[in-house]
This record gives sequence, structure tokens and C-alpha cells, in this order.
Amino acid sequence: MATDQDTAAMDMDTGSGGPLSSVVNWMENLSEAAYAYLLLVPAFFFITLVAFYPLLDTLRLSFIVEGARGTEPTIGLENYIDLLTGSALISRQVLDVGFTAAFPFIELGSPFFRQALFVTITFAIVSVLLETLIGFGQALVLDKEFKGRRWVRVAIIIPWAIPVVIQAMIFYLLFQPTVGFGSELMQALGIFGSTPLANSRDSFIIVLVADVWKTSAFMALLILAGLQSVDRSLYDVAKVSGASPWQRFKMITLPLVLPALIVAMLFRTMDAMRVYGIIDATAGCSTVPSLTCVVVDAVFATRQFGIAAAAAFFTAVVIGAFISIYLLFFADSDGGYF
Amino acid sequence: MATETDTQQIGTNKEDEPELDRGPFEAWAARSIKNPKRAYKAMFYTAMIFFLVTTLFPFYWLLMVALTPDGSLQNIVLAPATFDPTLLLAGDLTMGTNPGAFVEIFERLPFHRYMFNSFVIATVTTVIVLVVSSLAGYVFGRLRFKGKSPLMLLVLVVSFFPPAAFFLPLNQLFNRNFAVLQPVMSDGSLYNTPYAMIIPFSALFLPLSIFILTTFYAQIPDGLEDAARIEGTTRLGALFRVIIPLSAPGVATAGVLTFIAVYNEYFFSSLMTDPGAENWAPIVEGILGYQGQYQELYNLMAAASIVGVLPVAILVVVAQEKIVSGLTAGALKE
Repeated sequence: MATDQDTAAMDMDTGSGGPLSSVVNWMENLSEAAYAYLLLVPAFFFITLVAFYPLLDTLRLSFIVEGARGTEPTIGLENYIDLLTGSALISRQVLDVGFTAAFPFIELGSPFFRQALFVTITFAIVSVLLETLIGFGQALVLDKEFKGRRWVRVAIIIPWAIPVVIQAMIFYLLFQPTVGFGSELMQALGIFGSTPLANSRDSFIIVLVADVWKTSAFMALLILAGLQSVDRSLYDVAKVSGASPWQRFKMITLPLVLPALIVAMLFRTMDAMRVYGIIDATAGCSTVPSLTCVVVDAVFATRQFGIAAAAAFFTAVVIGAFISIYLLFFADSDGGYF
Repeated sequence: MATETDTQQIGTNKEDEPELDRGPFEAWAARSIKNPKRAYKAMFYTAMIFFLVTTLFPFYWLLMVALTPDGSLQNIVLAPATFDPTLLLAGDLTMGTNPGAFVEIFERLPFHRYMFNSFVIATVTTVIVLVVSSLAGYVFGRLRFKGKSPLMLLVLVVSFFPPAAFFLPLNQLFNRNFAVLQPVMSDGSLYNTPYAMIIPFSALFLPLSIFILTTFYAQIPDGLEDAARIEGTTRLGALFRVIIPLSAPGVATAGVLTFIAVYNEYFFSSLMTDPGAENWAPIVEGILGYQGQYQELYNLMAAASIVGVLPVAILVVVAQEKIVSGLTAGALKE
């Protein structure tokens, strides 16, 4: 590199031979590819430090099995097996015996991790479906030209933009029996029991409602972008040929928006599988456990890093599986269902 | 919409007997049958009002909780239970509400310090992300070189993993004492410093900014950059004096989205420091701090939430176009 700098300085002959100008000259004479790699160094420094190195380290930790006191840790898959069979010691498992009885969707047996897996997947599927429906509705409203549209759009975006902890506070207070009317309303409808924030099923619904309230706007914006890229003259053609509004929606809008819709759903599913903050700040991880809850719990409550790492990596694998399903479906619809 | 056609059909039958005495609703229905556009318009306004109420009512209700004196928090729906406009005549400007909660939140806990911490963390992260993603966006948007697509894919992969998968090694790393840092930090570890959050956020929110800026930088015509280069600007000079100023809307978009994302983050914000404000804990810990051990200060939680929402609410009102364009560009490009 020293020789590079020297020749560069001679070539350019800028007059001043300071270290700064020689660096500038050296950069000027790099090939395009070398220059490109140089500019990517900072980005990949951060990504490697915060993502790739921790990811590999998590994988390594997940294979280190701690034996009984005093014995050397061994290498193996036992952490994963313990997690799935339920013999891993997670503090909440001991604390929260009555969990399955209060969670009537499905009986999954005692292993806390399997409950967390079930909660996370159910949450992801149900919340993304509801958000897609509501987001579609919001997008259809925003797609119209009307007075004050700017302000309606602001109103719809605001829930998306607020901090998770404040979203959690709103719904915590709404369903706190001594403050909010939410619980009373739901009890009157016969859906909630007497202590909603301590009951797994009721809390699951609260967390679900909170998430739908916050993130439907994200779906709405992405779907709106798809709607606005639709060629308006197509609608005129359809009108002339006598298509009803429902037919126009089904035959023109839906197929053309579908790619945007699938990308939006993919993003939301990835995000929903990471759910943690809204649970932690409302009902708590022992009432509605998610996969991320298991990781945090294993780190801070029982300090079993191997178990925590296995749970974390397993979460990543589950998300990966979901993405593959989406991509398969996406490839299919690209081939032309419509 | 299927029900709409149903009502139309039922309506057509009704029209055969026009001498019927019609109530206001039936009259309205009859008119909308003659002119279906009216029905669609009504449906549209119903939907709009429904969405407005569902998104905005929780904030209104939160304000009402904050204004209610502690102790009479039962069943607030539209106004605090103690709200009484006649008190205004008696000279009580608060009308039975308790705006003092907005002062008390700063007395109980240093909530302003939590807000300040959040601001510093979000601002510093945004600056780092903008500089780093500008370089990367320039490379991906304007340069041709081997390995471009695999490298872009590598950036995208980061946003696919859950933060939990990064957390454990980072937590251990930040708790370790580094001799190099001894002169700067009291104990040489990064835990309980703003860096414990700035570093992870800088990487986690990088991909979105890189994709937004790649799109914007790619749209600048080559001629402008060439002209600047012929005039004698350096390569980096052309980026910072020509490309970035010309893509100012894109940079603003990436900045706004990064700021909001960092300000809103929960996972690392709640786990990377101890709860005290002096430990650089952000508003997450501030708001949860009112959940006391013996007493839950519901009205203070609500007041603190409203104060915490204000910065992002203002940002959304001011920069909504940027948010919309950035989200769609970032998510729908790749």
C-alpha cells in the first residue's frame, strides 16, 4: 500500500504531500471494484460485529451442554432435546403450573418451550391474517381522493409509529380491571374471565388486539403502494364492459396487488415471530410465553446460556421455515394462478 | 360488498310498490338504489370513521386517564369521573381534572432524563446509520463490481434473524471488561453506557436504510456525477457534494425511519442497561418505572406515555410523506 500511495502522489502531483491528500490520491486510483469493497467496510464491520459474530457464537453456545456441578461441559445436541422434551430447567415452568388448563386452544402438555412455540406460531398466523384484512380496508380508504386525506393518513400511521412500551401501556391500562373498561366490556360479552391479565387465553387476545391495532398501518401502507401502481385505465375498461365493483376488485385489484401483499405479509410474519415487548410490558412472559421470552428467561432467571442459545437459534430456524413457505407460495403465484 | 348487491336486489322489489309510507332509513335506501354511488360513498365514510375512531380513541382515553386524580380511576370512558364543567364557573380552571400528573411524572422519576437518553441514543444511531448506509447505498446503487448481489443478500439476511439470536453473545461482550476502555468507562465495560444500545441498533436498522438509499442514489443521472468528477472533485467529494444533496429526500426518509425505529425499540432497550436513568436507560424503563412494587401509579403511566408519544407524533405529522415513501421503497425493493 505504501508504494501505491507513492505512485498515486506522483501521478496526481497535487503539490501538498500531507497524509490526507495521499490517502485521497490512493482512493482516486483504486479500481471500481476495490473502491466498492472499501466503502462497504464500515457497513460490514457493524453487521459482522452485531449480527454475524453473535449468530455464530449463539450456535456454538447452543451445543455446549453443561453437566452436573464440577463436571466438564460436553458438546452435543442435548440442549435442543431438553428444550423440546421439556426436561430443560426453565424457571417459569415451575412457577406456572396451571398454564395449559387456562389455555383451551390446544393441550400441549407441560413443556414450557412447546407452549411458547405454540403461542408464537398462533400469534404470528392470527395477527398477520387480521392485520392483512384490516390493512386492506385501510388501504382501500386511503386510495380514494377526498378532502382531509392527509390527516386520515396521519391518524392511521400514528399507532405504527409509537414506542412498543407505550402501546403496551395503553392496552395494559384498558384491560386493567380497576382502570379500563376493556375487561368489563369483554366480560359482558362472555369472552373474558375475572382476571384477564393473569389468564393466558385472555391475555393472548389482549396482546393480539394490541398488535393488530399497532401494525395494521404497516400493512395498509404497503398495500396502498400496490394499489396506487395499478393502471387506472383498467378500471375504465372493466366499467365499460359492465363489471360490478366486486368483480373489479376481484379481477383487477386483487391479482395486481398480490405481489405487494405477499411481501408485506412476509415482513410482518418475520416481525410477529419475534414478539416480546408487548408481552413483557402487559401480561408478562409467564402468562403468554413467546419464544423470545424463553431466551430472556433462560439468560436472566436460570443463567443457562446453552439452553438460551438453543432456544434463540431454534427461533431463527422456525422463522426460516416460515419464510421458505412464503417463498414457495410466492414462486407459485408468480407462475400464474390468476 | 356482497351484502351491498343483496340490499340492492331487495330494494328493487320494494320499488315496485312506491306508495308505501317510508321511514327515513328506507327513503335513504331507496335513493341509494337509484344512485348506487351514494351507497358506496356511505360505506366509504363509515369505514373511514371506523378506522379513525379505532386508531385515535385509545390516545384520547389515555389522556383522560392521565387527567383523572389517582383514586378515582374507575371506569373512565369519555371523561374523568370527577370531570365537572360547572366547576369552571366556581373559578376552578381544571374542572375537576388533575393536570398535575404531567408535573408529577417528572418529580417521581427523572422522566426528562429518560427522554433525553432516548433522544441521544436515537440521534447518534441515526447519524451513524446515515453515514454508513450512504457509503453502502452508493456502492450498491451506482457501482458495478463482482459479488454485488451476494453482498446485498448478506445485508438482507440480518433483518431476518430475531434479535434474541444476537442477544446472548452481545450481552456477554458488553459485560466484559476491556483494558482499552478503562480510561473512558469507569469499569471498562460497555454495559450501562449508551454504546450498549447504539452499537446493536446501528447494525440492526442498517439494512432498511441501505435499501432506501440504494434506490434513491441509483436514480441520479450518471452525467451529474461525471461532470463533478471532471470539475476536479474527488470520488468521495462527488458522493457527499453531488449525490447525497441531490437525494436529500431519500436521506431524510432513511433518517426519519431509523429515528422512529430506535426510539420505539423494546428488546435491547429493556435488556442492555439497568433500569436507572443514570445508566442511560431509555424511556422503556422510565415508563415501566411507574409500575411500583407496592402501588401502581396508573395515571402517571398514562401521563408519561402521552409525553413519550409526543416526539414521534410530531415527527409523523411533519414527515408522513417520507415515512410512506420510505416504508414502501424499503420493503418492496429487492
